[in-house]
Amino acid sequence: MVLARVRGSVVSTHKSPGIEGLPLLLLEKIDPVSMKGRGDYVVGIDSVGAGSGEIVFYVTGSSARMTDATKGRPSDATIVAIVDVIEKDGVPTYEKARDADSAGTR
Amino acid sequence: MNLARVRGTVVASRRTDGVENARFLLVEDCDQRGAGRGEWLVALDLVGADRGQLVLCTQGSSCRQTERTEGKPMDCLVVAIVDSLDQGGVDVWKAAGGGAA
Repeated sequence: MVLARVRGSVVSTHKSPGIEGLPLLLLEKIDPVSMKGRGDYVVGIDSVGAGSGEIVFYVTGSSARMTDATKGRPSDATIVAIVDVIEKDGVPTYEKARDADSAGTR
Repeated sequence: MNLARVRGTVVASRRTDGVENARFLLVEDCDQRGAGRGEWLVALDLVGADRGQLVLCTQGSSCRQTERTEGKPMDCLVVAIVDSLDQGGVDVWKAAGGGAA
């Protein structure tokens, strides 16, 4: 699974019937040590109700079709978790409760 | 499988993967000697791996070929802890004391 920060949402009125009604979020992959964005963006289907600024992880490939929201749908990137804490070498590099970007942004 | 080093853990209480008692590890892709490449992934831990250990990561749809992950949206699993690794007759990795944590 890949760690990313939700940077925004994607609106599309003309899309495959298979992805109608599914929220599309703009995700930027992050470095989990510095917590900085890597400038690498991907659009993912949200299955957990993630909001702008939150740190999430997503699954790719055929695993992206294994959530209730995306079963049988043409998604190849699906957000499956909202991250509370990332710990590296015993030290938290990210705590949702203390993160200004993800606090109260829904 | 890719070689990776366990660097930490990731906690997420809001999830839709449906995997019970899931423990997620922060792993760094690494070379055969355990040196990190700066590429990070979140992996579901199936073997009780600890920080510093060299592990084998399975990625892609193969991740669903276990009892705990069958039909679940998981694309990266820690499936083994490496005790030792031999390259051309030379041990380039030895766990517990041999490898730097």
